[in-house]
Amino acid sequence: MIAYILRRLLLWVPSVILVMLGVYALAFYGAGDPIKLIFLRAPGDVAYDPVKIEAIREQAGLNEPFLVQFGNYLLNLVQGNFGNSLFSGRSVWAMISAAAPVSLLLGLMAMIVTALVAIPLGMIAGMNQNSRLDYTILGTAVTLWAIPAYVAGPLLMVMLLAILPKGAMPYGWGGLFSVKIILPLIVLSFQPIALIIRQTRAAVIDVMTEDFVRTARAKGVPEYVVALRHILRPVLTPVVTQLGLIMITIVNGAIFVELVFGLPGLGRLTVQALINSDYPVILAVTLIGSFLVMASNLLVDILYPLLDPRATDPKASRV
Amino acid sequence: MTAGPIITPTDDQPSSLWRDAWRRLRRNRLAVAGLVILTVLVLVAAFGPWLTPYDFLSQNLDARNLPPSLAHPFGTDDLGRDVLSRVIYGARTAFLVAVLVTAVALLIGVVLGAIAGFYGGAFDKGLMWVTDMTMSVPQLLLVVVINASLKQPITLWMEARYLETLNPIYRNSAIIDFVLVFGSMALISWPPYARLVRAQVLSIRNRPYVTAARALGLTNRIILTRYVLPNAAGPLIVAVSAGLGTAMVLESAFSFLGIGVNPPTPSWGNMISDGLRVWTNYPHLLLAPAAVLAVVTVAFNFLGDGLNDALNPKGQK
Amino acid sequence: MSALLEIRGLTIDIDRDTGPARVVDGIDLAVEEGESLGIVGESGCGKSLTMLSLVGLLPNRIRASGGSARFAGQDLLSLPQEALRKLRGSQIGFIFQDPMTSLNPVMRVGEQIAEALIHQSGMAKPAAMERAAELLELVGIPSPRDRLMAYPHELGMRQRVMIAIGLAGSPRLLIADEPTTALDVTIQAQIVDLVRDLKDRFGMSVVWITHDLALIAGLADRIAVLYAGTVVEDAPVEVIFDRPSHPYTRGLLASLPTLTDRPMTRLPSIGGTPPEPGRRPPGCPFAPRCTLATGACDAAVPKLAAVPGSDPRHRVACFVTAGEGGQA
Repeated sequence: MIAYILRRLLLWVPSVILVMLGVYALAFYGAGDPIKLIFLRAPGDVAYDPVKIEAIREQAGLNEPFLVQFGNYLLNLVQGNFGNSLFSGRSVWAMISAAAPVSLLLGLMAMIVTALVAIPLGMIAGMNQNSRLDYTILGTAVTLWAIPAYVAGPLLMVMLLAILPKGAMPYGWGGLFSVKIILPLIVLSFQPIALIIRQTRAAVIDVMTEDFVRTARAKGVPEYVVALRHILRPVLTPVVTQLGLIMITIVNGAIFVELVFGLPGLGRLTVQALINSDYPVILAVTLIGSFLVMASNLLVDILYPLLDPRATDPKASRV
Repeated sequence: MTAGPIITPTDDQPSSLWRDAWRRLRRNRLAVAGLVILTVLVLVAAFGPWLTPYDFLSQNLDARNLPPSLAHPFGTDDLGRDVLSRVIYGARTAFLVAVLVTAVALLIGVVLGAIAGFYGGAFDKGLMWVTDMTMSVPQLLLVVVINASLKQPITLWMEARYLETLNPIYRNSAIIDFVLVFGSMALISWPPYARLVRAQVLSIRNRPYVTAARALGLTNRIILTRYVLPNAAGPLIVAVSAGLGTAMVLESAFSFLGIGVNPPTPSWGNMISDGLRVWTNYPHLLLAPAAVLAVVTVAFNFLGDGLNDALNPKGQK
Repeated sequence: MSALLEIRGLTIDIDRDTGPARVVDGIDLAVEEGESLGIVGESGCGKSLTMLSLVGLLPNRIRASGGSARFAGQDLLSLPQEALRKLRGSQIGFIFQDPMTSLNPVMRVGEQIAEALIHQSGMAKPAAMERAAELLELVGIPSPRDRLMAYPHELGMRQRVMIAIGLAGSPRLLIADEPTTALDVTIQAQIVDLVRDLKDRFGMSVVWITHDLALIAGLADRIAVLYAGTVVEDAPVEVIFDRPSHPYTRGLLASLPTLTDRPMTRLPSIGGTPPEPGRRPPGCPFAPRCTLATGACDAAVPKLAAVPGSDPRHRVACFVTAGEGGQA
């Protein structure tokens, strides 16, 4: 088992570095000259002194070859140094560590909500395939999936306007246990819930046709035992493998949810950086987002053999 | 124990894959509803200029932020512009972007996927790595990076062209927006098509009838157009339907974030983002574009699901 | 003497988009206490569905639409789901075909046997695991205690685990649904022997479903031959082999290889294929493939009736051969 995890990890690290290289290359060749950008932003008429610029470039290591710069960037990254914002001059690491807790807590809560809501609903839909209940759950899931967070959020707010006085609208961050988190959490969970409902339902329908489910019923165990022990367990395997996809959905959704509800998280940081063309920040946030997704994929790889004992057995063919 | 000629009774009416698919699709009420809504959308987008009661740009400062009425079914915005007209123009923007992006992505995907499938080797490995990478980076962030990367060079190039030719078209920032939006969206949208076509090529390339045809001197191009694409048509149609919906949502997402289509060109995304600033006082400014976008994306999803069930009856995801 | 299981006029329909299609068309069958009945027929003849319908295990969109099935005095078809569930395992046990797919791949073998005991007999878990080990030993799995914690894919002899599960509730009737089809010939014989031993030890009735007549010759007391959802012949095993009456049964027997066949001789086969569900002919379902068919066979469906002059339990559904008496 430990050997298996180590093997996975060994395969994982290079792919993370490659993704970073790809993203860094985009920034390196696309973003233009960061030093010129600094000068363009400087207040007043700053003399455009080529000699001075050249000196700064030399000092910042910007004349080094691409791979050397990437290596330096990685080395700094490992030490928690993401460089400085082109816009405010603040350390990118400081900006991120201020914003990250909001996003991470929100995302984690959204995952928990998703698991608690979507898996039971998907089970119910799948076990009652083609019933009215199934169509209702599935239709709701398709609708939740289709409506982006920046549409769902505002629509919910307009609906709330009918009940709540204007001043009482939830806006901003009040910590994990404040009432204000409810609406953003619901909106952020919509798409992952839809995704998992559909995955669970499809997996249940698949598993229900398996012979071993018939065996379980033939033993005469109660239907809830059939559902929880024989159907849920094999259903979890394909559902858990969607963790990376859920992470993508949550990272994408968080950008909008934070913007709509005024939460000071990584999403809002990204949008501000984008408006300001603040490349070091964009780069850092993108790397963090990709890292989260790839870490989820690694976690899935590690969890997989625990869920399906056949996975580590080289002799066993998966049925 | 069974032997002898097996004659299975056939239906009186000849049935084909497409006829069956169409029959299954028609039975799916949600899919039909989606199809109707999208047809209306296409017609509205196509005939928008003749349908809109007002010009989407004409301001009427005496009629600002009016609630919905007979004269203005969706009300007016903070500059007194008719919201219905702007929503209709927004449909044009959304549809134009969705179709162009999907077409470009499809073209890139089919070509790269076919090359990878036919020639394999390093190109195939590289392509698979790129698609893997693209799919493991959150789309929106990737678009943000590409967008930010492309903005600088394109703007500089346009400026240079303008100085060279003095053609005002190179000064039009709307064109830069469109190129940027298309470019970055197309650049992240092609991998699913490429994978699909590659998988089809791999599965079909070694079928005995293709090997036989190859022995007769069949070229890759003919294998691609006569065998691979017809076989891939079903899954590709499903992917394109999903892709159109995704592209439309992405366009509005960009515009919402302020990096897509910029005002005054109407896009549902920037209308939502504008509406969000004043929604407690004028909820209709938010509600109109948000509701329309919601209905359209739901329609795309119902149609896409219906197509998937109709074209891949046994295929479960 | 009243039978343990008595099926009368059972019909089963598949709900198709175009309407119901009949797969089982009026089956009459009985199983006595302690008897073993072989049910023989081609795939699709409704033999498995008939047995699954008894305990409410029919797949989606397939339902029993008529007739009755009495087990130890209760009508199974009108029992509520919960009552059927209590019957499953404890009164009627099942052994299914492919142990690779019929055992839960992500659950330990011990638990799969024990859960039947826990939920049916109300045993505590340790006692149930202990009993599971005994059952594994009973079905001939070596060092059974070590095997309890294994997953199915880690075991050979999975079909024996399947049998242990079927036996766990000490049922009065064990239904074996083609339990040897996926196995090697040598293993097939071992499994047949094992089931015969267990039947004698527990005094159960056994219904053995197969398409392989030769296999159950040594196991069954009586054989019912099914064709297209009806019983065409039902007789003690020796009568079936010595004096088969129905042309289909004769065809099946003729297609069996024997040791006296010269090498490379072609075995006789029955031409044609059975009718599709919902497309059965108006008369005898076998008539289109039958070499003896007359005009009467196409006009009406023959009823299962005693064969005059043969064993009193020998019944056949054929206009042509029923009158021939016991000669073959």
